[in-house]
Amino acid sequence: MLTISTFKRGISNGLNITWELAKVVVPVYFAVTFLKYSPVLPWLSSLMSPMMQIVGLPGEASMPLILGYFINIYAAIGAILPLGLDSKEITIISAMLLMAHSLPIETAVSKKTGIRVVSIVIIRVVLSLLVGILFAVLLHTGSYEKLF
Amino acid sequence: MSLLMILSEAAKGSFSSILQIAIIVIPLMVFIEILIDLKLLDKLTAVLVPLTRIFNISQHASLPLMAGMVFGISYGGGIIINAAREGKLDYREIYLVNLFLIICHSLFEDTFLFAAIGAQWIPVLTVRIILAVLICFLFSRYTRGNQIKQKTVSRLRDVPN
Repeated sequence: MLTISTFKRGISNGLNITWELAKVVVPVYFAVTFLKYSPVLPWLSSLMSPMMQIVGLPGEASMPLILGYFINIYAAIGAILPLGLDSKEITIISAMLLMAHSLPIETAVSKKTGIRVVSIVIIRVVLSLLVGILFAVLLHTGSYEKLF
Repeated sequence: MSLLMILSEAAKGSFSSILQIAIIVIPLMVFIEILIDLKLLDKLTAVLVPLTRIFNISQHASLPLMAGMVFGISYGGGIIINAAREGKLDYREIYLVNLFLIICHSLFEDTFLFAAIGAQWIPVLTVRIILAVLICFLFSRYTRGNQIKQKTVSRLRDVPN
């Protein structure tokens, strides 16, 4: 049954998530904005550019990808935002991150269910790359507009 | 670019994105609480029963599947781990639940978070669901008839709490 406490719980959960998110997004956002105007990000960008081209992303997008894989989606979001990616690029990186993120935490849960997790991690990372390639091809060949 | 300008860009940018995310996440969490209190999650679990048939696994798998899809692996973790330890699912079934959920989980929150920052969410969500169903279907065909219950029982005994 719906009571006032339904809404109270929802709002408090929502505020909680926003708070947890802010604690990660704000520092990462600041750090990445600084890096953006330092020589570090251009250097990382040119280093990663050949690999990131495979998934149709600029070299600097490797940073949110790595943060997402090892920390969580919130950290990735904090790093995506200051980079000024366009909607296509954000769609590609979102799809990749949704296949693989928070790997240490989520793999720990899988492990607790009693299964062997090495294959699970490999599948996630491989799928992340494949989905990136899929979206890059769809978005850049224009076949995407016909599909969605 | 002066330091002050960088600071103000980061402050404005991070503040407005958090606001944007809050506007989406708070109503979403209210929506999920409404689903819980109207007992609609039970119905959602029932909807997943046909999926367990497609994968040729026990109906008991529908509860952890629902928990993972709605709450995610971290927050739904308790329900998923409990379901795995109850002993009603064998190793293959537990593996399949994990396989499905790593591809396709926290469908509301994750999807709307990325939509909030400008991703086109419909294709992303579609690909997640299709991949999860397809890969689990292939896995289930490939492993059908594998009698590995014994292995599960002994493995689960080894898992620390």
